[in-house]
Amino acid sequence: MTTRTGHCLCGAVRLVARDVPATATVCHCRMCQRWTGSAYHEVSVPTTQVDWQGETITVFASSHLGERAFCGTCGSHLYFRVTQEGPWSGNYDIPLGLFDDTQGITLAAEIFVDEKPDAYAIADCGQLRLTRADVIEKFADIETVG
Amino acid sequence: MTAAGGCLCGAVRYRLDKAPTAFGVCHCGMCRRWGGGVTMGVEVPPGGLTWQQGKDRIATYQSSDWAERGWCQACGGQLFWRMTADGPMHGMLSPAAPSLDRFDTLDFGAEIYIDAKPDSYAFAGDRPRITEAQLLASLDAGGAS
Repeated sequence: MTTRTGHCLCGAVRLVARDVPATATVCHCRMCQRWTGSAYHEVSVPTTQVDWQGETITVFASSHLGERAFCGTCGSHLYFRVTQEGPWSGNYDIPLGLFDDTQGITLAAEIFVDEKPDAYAIADCGQLRLTRADVIEKFADIETVG
Repeated sequence: MTAAGGCLCGAVRYRLDKAPTAFGVCHCGMCRRWGGGVTMGVEVPPGGLTWQQGKDRIATYQSSDWAERGWCQACGGQLFWRMTADGPMHGMLSPAAPSLDRFDTLDFGAEIYIDAKPDSYAFAGDRPRITEAQLLASLDAGGAS
């Protein structure tokens, strides 16, 4: 667990995150693909451990379960957060690229791998690979995320 | 054959005159700062894209002397990188590959700024992997700068 700092591309939004885990997750769900133009590569940090600074944070409720935030000036992505109470609530899923330094962070899991386009694959480095069904089984009261 | 795509909330929709066959990945620090991970883009020549819906919802940010980036103001869905500098590549547009309605069949053509890639992940398979220095040298040779 480490304290890490970060900022968006234009610098209008800054963050300090404490207790940042050393493990990252990549989400391949179709919503994350559409949103990021990529796959969502993130670390989950308790909301109580993150201080955001900036006036341009824009929040979009992407489903009844979650919201996604970005900088209104440069469009940089800031976080995904589950807003419905449950096993996944209480965290900001912060994109790895936002941090100034990601030394020491390793990839622990890929989720929704059954929605990943065949066009690419992340090399095997021992990470878990969970399908949508696997994720739902693991967190039984979540039908879908987004 | 044409192709179509759009943002997460559906407010912005576009059509490409010619469906792309390949996409590339950029590992540079700006792309990773902007989208959180790598940027996956296809290449569209100037005039090859028509905004069908929501053009007035697009916000842009001039992220360098070279280029601007565009996204949907409503949902933040990232849409494109566009070359704004003068030169033969002026107006070249790179829509985000996952913003296309169909992305499955594209070839993974190249990775650029491979020397900026964090150690925590790598893409499987073989393809050209180009460093920043190699990319800039090739652009200089083509007169793009």
